[in-house]
Amino acid sequence: MGFTARSVSMMRYRIKGQIEGAFWDAVDEGMRKGAFRSLEGSGELIGMGWASIDDFADTEFRGSSYVRGNYIGMALRIDTVRVPARVLEMTLRQEGKKLMEETGRRRLSNAQRRELKERIVETLKKQVLPSIQVFEVIWDTAQAVVYFASLSVKARERMEDHFKKSFGLPLIPLIPYLRAEELVAGSLRVELLEKLKPSSFIP
Amino acid sequence: MDFLDILREKAFLGREFLTWLWFKCDQADGRIEMPGNRVYEVFFLDRMTLDMSDVDTPQTVTLKGGHSELREGLAALKEGKKIEEARISVRAGDNEFTMVLKGTWFSLGAFRTPPILPAAEADPEEGMEATFLEKIALIEEGVEIVDRLFEFFLSVRLSDEWDARELPAMRRWIASGLE
Repeated sequence: MGFTARSVSMMRYRIKGQIEGAFWDAVDEGMRKGAFRSLEGSGELIGMGWASIDDFADTEFRGSSYVRGNYIGMALRIDTVRVPARVLEMTLRQEGKKLMEETGRRRLSNAQRRELKERIVETLKKQVLPSIQVFEVIWDTAQAVVYFASLSVKARERMEDHFKKSFGLPLIPLIPYLRAEELVAGSLRVELLEKLKPSSFIP
Repeated sequence: MDFLDILREKAFLGREFLTWLWFKCDQADGRIEMPGNRVYEVFFLDRMTLDMSDVDTPQTVTLKGGHSELREGLAALKEGKKIEEARISVRAGDNEFTMVLKGTWFSLGAFRTPPILPAAEADPEEGMEATFLEKIALIEEGVEIVDRLFEFFLSVRLSDEWDARELPAMRRWIASGLE
């Protein structure tokens, strides 16, 4: 579900800090630095990074295609592979039995079991089709605001982290109190806001 | 205070905003007179969740349905719950926006803008960019309306008017709903 869909759920962020030096050059560098790439490792995550907002298979951003007026539009693509637990358990048991027969042992050591499991997971991962998730991001460069088209906690955390790694800029969710701080900044009401306590509406 | 502390301790601000907004809509049949002589139309639609944030075991009530079902929310308010989220529609000019506005995170669920007609550009790429820009302009218009309403709320909440007039009026409204 993206921003051009009929209905979109979104978080709003304030960008803290500023980009050093030439803005659009730094943005370009960040996009390339954070572009989607495959990841090695034993976990479920096999790929993550920025992709084109129009085509999640396009991760090259030819001609700075992410620029739209004062806005930057991109998608965070997250590829995961999940080996079904029972398939893993069954394969582990089969392969464990084979290994014990081959080595003539009646049980496997913890180290052997661990190493066997890692090997099996790697093999099975290659047989499972990946799940590809795409989360859209719009960066309003004029207002230093980012809109993220998902409310999923995990997706948000990944995006916040990846944005910071790519561009060196932290994203702060614009929760009511922080938005209020911005709206009253420089006025006498700052102190009133800081000291504010909940009211009771009970009649 | 770090971010999580603020989120926890100041969650009441977003909830009080939503509760106040419902009060204002109900009192004025949806026509809220904004500072600067503008009128915003705001309606609470078919869904509302109320919560008590200061209790160890959070108690949540979700109401769905029409006007009479939502008015049960007043009973929850009487117990000290506040609105955590509600589906609302807002309009400042020609355009109407609906969303599920959430008090703690200020996030916008199921945000809907007026439909965009497909761009008449000859080049499909230019067409996509035009659609994108039009859509984001609409989104920002809708978000701006929410911001202005929140600003209006703050101007009252942070003034003497709150304890003197607004809060008593809200309490009377909550009490009256149970007759």
